[in-house]
Amino acid sequence: MTVEGSAEELRPQDADPVLTITGLSKTFGGEHALRNVSFELRSGEVHALVGQNGSGKSTIVKILAGYHTADPGASATVDGKPFELGHAGSGFAAGLRFVHQDLGLVPALGAIDNLALGRGYRRGRTGTISWRREAKAGRELLRSLGYEFDLNVPVSQLMASERTGIAIARALDTSSGHVQVLVLDEPTASMPAAEVQRLAEVVRTVRDAGVGVIYVSHRFVEVFEMADRVTVLRDGVRVGTFTVDDLNEAELIRLTIGRSLDSSDSAQTSPSEVRPDPILRVTGLEGRNIQQLDLDVHAGEIVGIAGVTGSGREEVAELVFADRSQGEVFVAGQLVPPGRPDLSISRGMALLPADRLSKAALRDMTLRENLTIGGLEPFYGLRGLRRRAERQEAADWLERLGVVPADPEAMLLTLSGGNQQKVMLGRALRLNPKVLVLDEPTQGVDVGAKAAIHAIVKESARNGATVLVASTESEELVALCDRIVVIAHGRVRGEFAGHELTADALTELTIRETSPI
Amino acid sequence: MTTPDSSADTPAGHLRVRPGSREPDGQPGASNEVRPPRRIRQLGSIVASCSLLVIWAILILIFGIIEPSTFLTLANVRTIMGEQAITAIMALAILLPIAANTFDLSIGGAMGVGIVFVAVFMSDLHLNFLLAIVLTLLCGVLIGSVNSFVIIRLRVSSFIATLATGTILDAIQQWPNGGNQIVSGISPSFTAAGQKTVFTIPLPFLYMLIIGAVLWYLLKYRQVGRYLYATGSNADAARLAGVRTNRLIVVSLLVSAVVATAAGIIFVMRIGASSVDAGDSYLLPAFAAAFLGATQFREGKVNVLGTLLAVYVLATGVTGLQLMGAPFWVANLFNGCALIIAVALAVRAGQRRLLG
Repeated sequence: MTVEGSAEELRPQDADPVLTITGLSKTFGGEHALRNVSFELRSGEVHALVGQNGSGKSTIVKILAGYHTADPGASATVDGKPFELGHAGSGFAAGLRFVHQDLGLVPALGAIDNLALGRGYRRGRTGTISWRREAKAGRELLRSLGYEFDLNVPVSQLMASERTGIAIARALDTSSGHVQVLVLDEPTASMPAAEVQRLAEVVRTVRDAGVGVIYVSHRFVEVFEMADRVTVLRDGVRVGTFTVDDLNEAELIRLTIGRSLDSSDSAQTSPSEVRPDPILRVTGLEGRNIQQLDLDVHAGEIVGIAGVTGSGREEVAELVFADRSQGEVFVAGQLVPPGRPDLSISRGMALLPADRLSKAALRDMTLRENLTIGGLEPFYGLRGLRRRAERQEAADWLERLGVVPADPEAMLLTLSGGNQQKVMLGRALRLNPKVLVLDEPTQGVDVGAKAAIHAIVKESARNGATVLVASTESEELVALCDRIVVIAHGRVRGEFAGHELTADALTELTIRETSPI
Repeated sequence: MTTPDSSADTPAGHLRVRPGSREPDGQPGASNEVRPPRRIRQLGSIVASCSLLVIWAILILIFGIIEPSTFLTLANVRTIMGEQAITAIMALAILLPIAANTFDLSIGGAMGVGIVFVAVFMSDLHLNFLLAIVLTLLCGVLIGSVNSFVIIRLRVSSFIATLATGTILDAIQQWPNGGNQIVSGISPSFTAAGQKTVFTIPLPFLYMLIIGAVLWYLLKYRQVGRYLYATGSNADAARLAGVRTNRLIVVSLLVSAVVATAAGIIFVMRIGASSVDAGDSYLLPAFAAAFLGATQFREGKVNVLGTLLAVYVLATGVTGLQLMGAPFWVANLFNGCALIIAVALAVRAGQRRLLG
């Protein structure tokens, strides 16, 4: 194929690379996240970095930002001058700037203050902040990017694209040195589609000023709209670097997932045979992104929710479980009132939240206490809680879940992430729920623990539990689910039988459904 | 007092430590660290968690050697027991809120209201002393309800909310009797209940033991105790796991206000008179004892036994110094330093726990 041909050689003669990386590898505990990756960015180009989850694109960004170190043997230069990979100060001095997905703005402060964060305020001779000069400089900086809004309004009240603009403006502030490279990490992940257009203009403005822009995204439409060249990563290996004009979307998808898609893969399931009443029925569910979601899940069925970040997938589990403003949820025909997790549990639901640290873990409590919370009734004797019975049951669960160490009195925070996650899953399973709602059940979990968790989930479905799984990982959904619902822009875009799909096909569906067809 | 914590929206003082280093997360093999056998670890933690007992023994030994004629007397022991019973009750009052990672700084004001109102009910309104006690405790329920409303409904952080309500309560104490002491009209059977002894044990000490026993049972053997600790550990997680966190915080604030007014009632029983603003001087010793107690027995979490032990260790130190001729302000100096040391120790305990 022609694209393949143009991929193999990088032609240094037709470019003055502003950033080069050669021989970059990174291993995490024996797993290769990156293998001998080389990368070259020209000044005044927008260079997209694309790949599936786990392809290594965010690892590259994190190494450039100095969050991870690189394995020995890698080298990098800016403008021909070498700098130290994995060292934040060295990258900054060389002229690398970053806008991370969360932007790093203080929501309650206005643009002026957010621009001054890190750099410090402009001050007069006596040390007094010169608000007039700050405001003037800030206004000019943002105007140069095409923005015109009140710089004193708290950024939490601005539009998503305006917030991103402030973060970009702050990154481009030249008072801390010459900016050579701007890295934008998933800038549109939680941005409404209408505002993406505006961001595209800003990115082009930055490029035209001679800055090299690395644009990390999994929205392919944006790649075609903004980027000049694109580097594709797959499984930690660079597949190639291509001129965007030489590609079309289908080719880019094929490069990203490593194979082309048979048309049969995306066949919509035919309306299934008549089934008994669903155990879980969701109607008219609404959230920040989710609009009018309807869902029926039957006994013993595992249903997956797929979608890229920003599609609304990340909200579904918590909305279904309890925290919804609109929509009705029935478990076995019984209405579950919103906003009351305790009632959701007593109606037969259990949730495994995605964010273990802030929404699930009782880190300074024991494994026993973490497991039994939500269901202490069985341990009540005449004189209150019977420790011994509780400890025994906790020990049984730890063994069943394969938690290491299986010591019920160990503090949760002494465990590794995978083992903590098993405990959290055990907490939900112990409630013997009719409906098990899992949100990113294997996030931040090693391979062995992931397999164990999948096995446990499948077993509980075989025992009659109804399971709803939201996940960013296509492999996980394909491995687990009987049925997969693909969500884009807050709406259901398709429903597929699990056995009809491969992981790659599902990934393509989530990506493709993102672009308005 | 604590490191910032994204998971709690109250800046309250649960003794929880956000570790400086990241937890081993998702890295293969991270779970296989070598740990000493359980029995050795238990022995180590028992030694570490009884350090206050050791300090107590050393204090008694030192003061006993220096001042044998005054310090090691039954009269002195009885004085410490009786005087400190009220401090201990105040320390018990804040246990439930702190367990739920909520501050109640209004307990000083609540105690003051208890002092003034129980005296006013008896001397100005000529009520039966039992009725006076009941009405005063109802004032405590009202105080706890207002605190709950401000914290839960108005969403004011518990630290600020109770700092404010405590100050308001200081004002309210001045109102019934123009801020004057009440010395007459207090029922003698009422004061007898605070001044008598049973088997040489002062009655206030027994009241304290009863309150302590109830709280100990609740915290250790009832769901409410477990859920309070879970709320304090991570309120969002506890809520999603089925804990009604707001309701628990309300319960803890009701208990703290009622127990604090009870401390005020017992104060009047002991002294036989009311005095305005007497409650506020108990606030800091109560916090110092609760936090120092959190380093004992149930490491890093407030608990009844540790709190009571801490109250008496602190009292022993203060009394010993005073018997040696130290001026009266040594108590504030001692308690202030103890609060800082207690929290610093708790932070260290949290880090030690992180290391396993």
